[in-house]
Amino acid sequence: MNVRDKIYDKLIEISNPERYIGNEYNMIKKEWQPDQIKILTAFPDAYEIGMSHLGLKIIYHLLNKEDNMICERVFSPWPDLEELLKEENLPLFSLESGKSVDEFDILAFTLQYEMSYTNILTILKMSGLKFYSKDRTEEDPLVIGGGSIVSNVEPVAPFFDLLFVGEAEDHIVDIVNKYKSLKEAGHKKKDILIELSKIPGVYVPSLYRVDYNEDGEITGITPKYDEVKEKVKRQLISNLDQAFFPEDFLVPYMDIVHDRATVEVSRGCTKGCRFCSAGITYRPVRERSKETLMNQIDKILKSTGYDEISLTSLSTVDHTQIEGLVKELTQKYEDEKISISLSSLRVDKFSVKLAKEVQKVRKTGLTFAPEAGTKRLRNVINKGVSESNLYEAVEAAFSEGWSTVKLYFMIGLPTETKEDLEGLIKMVKNVLKKGKEIRSHNKKKMRPIRINVSVSTFIPKAATPFQWEPMVDIAELKEKINFLRSNLNKKGINFSWNEEELSLLESIFSRGDRRLSKVLISAWQKGARFDGWGDFFDYELWLESFRDNNLDPDFYLRRRGLDETLPWEHIDMGLNPNFLKNEYHKALESETTSDCRFDNCKGCNICLNLDVDLDIIGDDYNVYKS
Amino acid sequence: MYIRAEYRKDDQLKYISHLELMNTFRRTFRRAGLPVAYSQGYNPHIIFSMSQPLPVGMVGYNEYFDLELKEKISFTKIKKEVNKKLPFGLKVSEMIEIHEKEKSLQAIVNTARYRYEMSFRDELNQQKVLENFLSEKEIEITRFRRNKDDRMIDLAPMIYNGRVLKDDVWEFTISTGSSGNVRPQEVIRALKIKTDGLVKEIPLVNIERLGLYVREEGKLYKPTNKDVLKKEVREK
Repeated sequence: MNVRDKIYDKLIEISNPERYIGNEYNMIKKEWQPDQIKILTAFPDAYEIGMSHLGLKIIYHLLNKEDNMICERVFSPWPDLEELLKEENLPLFSLESGKSVDEFDILAFTLQYEMSYTNILTILKMSGLKFYSKDRTEEDPLVIGGGSIVSNVEPVAPFFDLLFVGEAEDHIVDIVNKYKSLKEAGHKKKDILIELSKIPGVYVPSLYRVDYNEDGEITGITPKYDEVKEKVKRQLISNLDQAFFPEDFLVPYMDIVHDRATVEVSRGCTKGCRFCSAGITYRPVRERSKETLMNQIDKILKSTGYDEISLTSLSTVDHTQIEGLVKELTQKYEDEKISISLSSLRVDKFSVKLAKEVQKVRKTGLTFAPEAGTKRLRNVINKGVSESNLYEAVEAAFSEGWSTVKLYFMIGLPTETKEDLEGLIKMVKNVLKKGKEIRSHNKKKMRPIRINVSVSTFIPKAATPFQWEPMVDIAELKEKINFLRSNLNKKGINFSWNEEELSLLESIFSRGDRRLSKVLISAWQKGARFDGWGDFFDYELWLESFRDNNLDPDFYLRRRGLDETLPWEHIDMGLNPNFLKNEYHKALESETTSDCRFDNCKGCNICLNLDVDLDIIGDDYNVYKS
Repeated sequence: MYIRAEYRKDDQLKYISHLELMNTFRRTFRRAGLPVAYSQGYNPHIIFSMSQPLPVGMVGYNEYFDLELKEKISFTKIKKEVNKKLPFGLKVSEMIEIHEKEKSLQAIVNTARYRYEMSFRDELNQQKVLENFLSEKEIEITRFRRNKDDRMIDLAPMIYNGRVLKDDVWEFTISTGSSGNVRPQEVIRALKIKTDGLVKEIPLVNIERLGLYVREEGKLYKPTNKDVLKKEVREK
């Protein structure tokens, strides 16, 4: 049944109806055959966010490549569509065929950030599915998930039948096929899940028992059956250069967040910033070669008609062939007015030089992330940037004619003092001063200098060296923000920060346990939706939901004992068990750890445990290695 | 080389906005590998212009765009390539070459024809109601304007023609563009007022734009009609 057809003309009444029409160029719409397995990929956020996500595109095209599979898409309905569907008594529908979720065999969520958790519940509810895995029947679709936050998905784990830990490219097709054959053989859901749990990277939450002591701390996470593995090991692809990458991207009508063609130049980052979750969960660094990238870019541009290509990764400027790649790209595409964007810049002159090279066609803003205001604190978080790096970078930028730069900082970091905030203020003011000086000497006309300072709140994340640290107290956080705001209230400086309560909530869930699933349901029932979109966020509602379930937010925000069993203990990132602790101790001593790409091994042991290797392509690196 | 094209926007794409439609065409031209021309300056874009925007939710059967190409290529080829690379729901039906100094679509298109799925409170003689409406000397309604004060306008001189196509399906030919613009729903609103509510308001999706025209001395021409193209295309 095509659900969308039934309300198609009513979509005129809701905001952005183009979110729900599908039919994008390159959309894959297969004829439904009974013997095919139908997978619905779900992104628990609005269309324009989900469609900007690379992982979703990879999975969509990867599964649709299989003749015996049909993969379609669904995103969270905006509250006005949710309302309309409720009024009409209709379920949520897929973008491709307009079919309801219960017509699919598998509902597969991409999990990106904690603040989209309530949207998972909306999708389940609007599909007529029970929230908890244990309450769903044999006939319901299998609800699975994966994505960048699987280092700790415990707060939503009870909603899922199965989760995948790590990079799914090499396993997802096998998992789907295996599910199909087990299902066809007539096995019960429980037995199927036990069988699937034997596949590397597959985590079946219902197969693990979590015990708590009277203080609410976890005393153990244990498999319920002998045949269930004790720990779920993260999976990754060993060769990015050979890995599947879609070349026929969907081209949305709506102006989505990243409305451009994208290639993934490398995966993983070993810079070792201690606050960064991705720095651990995507280790080690694997690069794609310039040849492969040139080839992919050519195909993507031809098949989409985009006029912008983004070179993405966790640190694009560190790609060993980046200079050559950028040079070749600008030469090849200048006439076609294709602009190139770099997803992340390092704080140095080299980055500005590259940015200048790529922005011959269209000039956009420059962003640098020194993260903290003093050398001491930058050492604590292992952000290897010096003040002079920053000044050289911005001087180069202003001299090249950029009048606006954006600076990212974090506050509420471990060991942070007033001195660090004063350092931050001083850095920003110096940058502004340098900009003004250069502008006054510049012969060419330059717009007034603008420094956009964006300050985000540090949140201790699972599987990072700071996973034991407490979240900064909210009163202290507000004080810090006020201090910065009053000192940066100056012409030419634009100061922005995260909503404090939203950071607090994110922090609760990022180190939360399974009991929080009840809080999520309460909050959803009270109306929580799209919490990450400030305009919908209601902290009171959340506090009420904690009270309703006799759970204390402070329990989750507190400092964790180094010997405590953490809720994500059974998820194995591939780390040497002492690595995070060592890094944590070094942090407290403001000792740094260098990047293993350009130095000897730092002993995280991921390469060893996960049977991969740093895969660096550039010549310089190989010379160094030999 | 300058070309003018006629296209249709169908039901599948009626919810995309004018800006989104422009982007869709620009990307289509690139996919089709056309030798498009770019504007100069900071943010170069494909030189391309369109006729009066279709409101979100409305289908349009005879819409137009002008496009500049850096070199001359055959129409059959352009049309074929563009149609191959357009998403489902958009289709180019005709293409002609125009002079580089040809007046823009926005400047010449002054008339639009719409098809309405009508809705009535009671049974009535539709033909008679329409005739009465068209014979009104003055059809005053309030125009609501975004960020501006409401004002009264007289639709009578801007409604050129109306027909009952069949029961509950009417057609109006009305003025559009800078020299006098009638919004398609305003006709229904005026009808509602004049009939004391016998004619009911309808959602925008019940209105379709049948075509855009150049109206000269009471006659309607398509913007691709040679008779309204003032400048001959020079042979090269």
